[in-house]
Amino acid sequence: MDILHNLMQGFGTVLSPYYLWIATVGCFFGTIVGILPGLGPSATIAILLPLTFNMNPTPALIMMTAIYYGAKYGGSTTSILINVPGEGASVVTAIDGYQMSRQGRAGAALGIAAIGSFIAGIIGTFGLIFVAVPLANFSLRFSAAEYFSLILMGMLTIVFVGGKSITKSLMSGVIGLALGVVGIDPVRGAERFVFGNANLVEGISFTVVVMGVYGIGEVLESAEERMKLKPVKVEFSKLWPSLADLLESKWAILRGTIIGFMVGALPGAGATIASFISYGVEKGVAKHPERFGKGAVEGVAGPESANNSATSGSMVPLLALGIPGSGATAVMLGALMMFGLKPGPMLFTTSSDFVWALIASMFVGNIILVIMNLPMVPLFAYSLRLPYKYLYPAILLICIIGSYSLNTQIFDVFVMLIFGVIGYFMKKFDIPGAPMVIALVLGPMLEYSLYQALSLARGDVTTFITRPISATLLGIAVVMAITVTFKTIRMKRAMIDEEEN
Amino acid sequence: MTFMKKGDRVFAVICLGLSFWLIFESSRLVYRTAFAPGPGFHPFWLGVVLGVLSISLLIQTFNVKKESIGTEREIARLPGKDSFVRLSLIVLITLGFAFLMNTFGFVLTAFLFVASILYILEGDGILKSTFYGFVFSGAIFLIFQYWLEVNLPKGFLGF
Repeated sequence: MDILHNLMQGFGTVLSPYYLWIATVGCFFGTIVGILPGLGPSATIAILLPLTFNMNPTPALIMMTAIYYGAKYGGSTTSILINVPGEGASVVTAIDGYQMSRQGRAGAALGIAAIGSFIAGIIGTFGLIFVAVPLANFSLRFSAAEYFSLILMGMLTIVFVGGKSITKSLMSGVIGLALGVVGIDPVRGAERFVFGNANLVEGISFTVVVMGVYGIGEVLESAEERMKLKPVKVEFSKLWPSLADLLESKWAILRGTIIGFMVGALPGAGATIASFISYGVEKGVAKHPERFGKGAVEGVAGPESANNSATSGSMVPLLALGIPGSGATAVMLGALMMFGLKPGPMLFTTSSDFVWALIASMFVGNIILVIMNLPMVPLFAYSLRLPYKYLYPAILLICIIGSYSLNTQIFDVFVMLIFGVIGYFMKKFDIPGAPMVIALVLGPMLEYSLYQALSLARGDVTTFITRPISATLLGIAVVMAITVTFKTIRMKRAMIDEEEN
Repeated sequence: MTFMKKGDRVFAVICLGLSFWLIFESSRLVYRTAFAPGPGFHPFWLGVVLGVLSISLLIQTFNVKKESIGTEREIARLPGKDSFVRLSLIVLITLGFAFLMNTFGFVLTAFLFVASILYILEGDGILKSTFYGFVFSGAIFLIFQYWLEVNLPKGFLGF
């Protein structure tokens, strides 16, 4: 009953004209920016972060969540219309979605993607409520030792599952941790790595790094390619999928939703893996698997539902534990902290109004998105026709304003530019940015919980393995690390053998 | 040697340097307090771990049979000369914008920023560049200054 009561209160907040407006603006901008090829949800949230700077935490996070969902919707549009996925999670949508477009069924593909995403978003948000609340209650038992182990586990799983090269992912994570040590240390309040620069005393701003790596880095990469896109034309009248399409997709949507939520809730796994698993499952259960790759509607419905419910799933560790499961949720975690909220299990207790308004806004956001997307897809698709040369100066301007307005200092703009260049080279050298961003957010929390745990245990390091929950979390991290390491070694050997043969 | 292997090698060397620096700087800080780690503990071990990982990556780049590290990812290449000039100009123009923003104010600098990118880099004519520069700077100024109430720098012209 508590859940229902809280949720109703959340709806009470969100259904006011101001919050509805905020969610609509977030959905709109999220979709528009998410449509741009190359800009995934992390980059979209990072670029649009400045829109929220002068807001209170609740509308700001509602807008950010709406941007997140909007970017997911937008990502599928580019996959279907121009065969250029806006992000990893839409790669698999392009396989059948683009084929449908070429057969003149772009509207049906976009429609089924929107309907599937809507159903998945709604069911996924229910899933979020029923998993996050008990998880948050359970994690109230955590003390510093458990937090340390949890953060360590979260970081390791993200690093290990996230990138193609484990070594480079780990290095990216360590660099993020190293960036987190700049400023005042959480133990003694001493200045570290500041070098007499007053601008560094508060540390390197997470927001500035994110806007640099994701925003400027992506823009530089796209500007280099001088993108010229020719999207397939979509007519307003052909947007609704046929009844046959809907009937064919219903189980794919349901299966995708369940897979997406479960996979999305795991740190590091995320929407991309969920969408691939869903595609594999759909192909596996199909009576005519040969249709896949040639425009099968289930090949769009399943993965699109999976990647949307993975978004709800990824909010579980973020809201219940304060651990981001992906780059996008790391940006949101950083934003939570920027607005003075303390992420973690206590969030449900100390900021109950905020959390339930946010959850209610996810229901509302999905409804807004489907209402907005179905009739407006041709309009959104039209934005693909805007030459990129007019878009990137605008994105750069917004990033500059964003970094400047944080502390009204030009110093932050320079730092953002430096990280933009670093982000560009990271992409070129295939070094994942997400571990660095996640580690930058979690690093100070990791250090502080280590300090607290050891202080409470009077310096006894066995506290991490003698406490059952902490030991279990560390055990999971170790097992996962060993499994992934062996799997990677096996894959590399297989690759070398294949080349030798 | 493939491009990616070269890239990995450069990255490993940079990170190795960073790890030495972290270890050196952390040696000036207190390593531990009575029961818990001091401010130097965390950066010291980060330096050590980064060093080990860098050496591991470096070894991988020497130790791979048949270019297998790079071949699959050869698509991601460094920019050619033209692209490099183009990207450098984008960064330089953006830097210039950041330097001048406080003196000339947001609107004028943003106008110059957009117009110069379109004129110099994208080959638009002077009229078109001026028009888009005016539209973009004006629209973004109005959105951020009046709708989102972000305080943008005002130059000697007062906006």
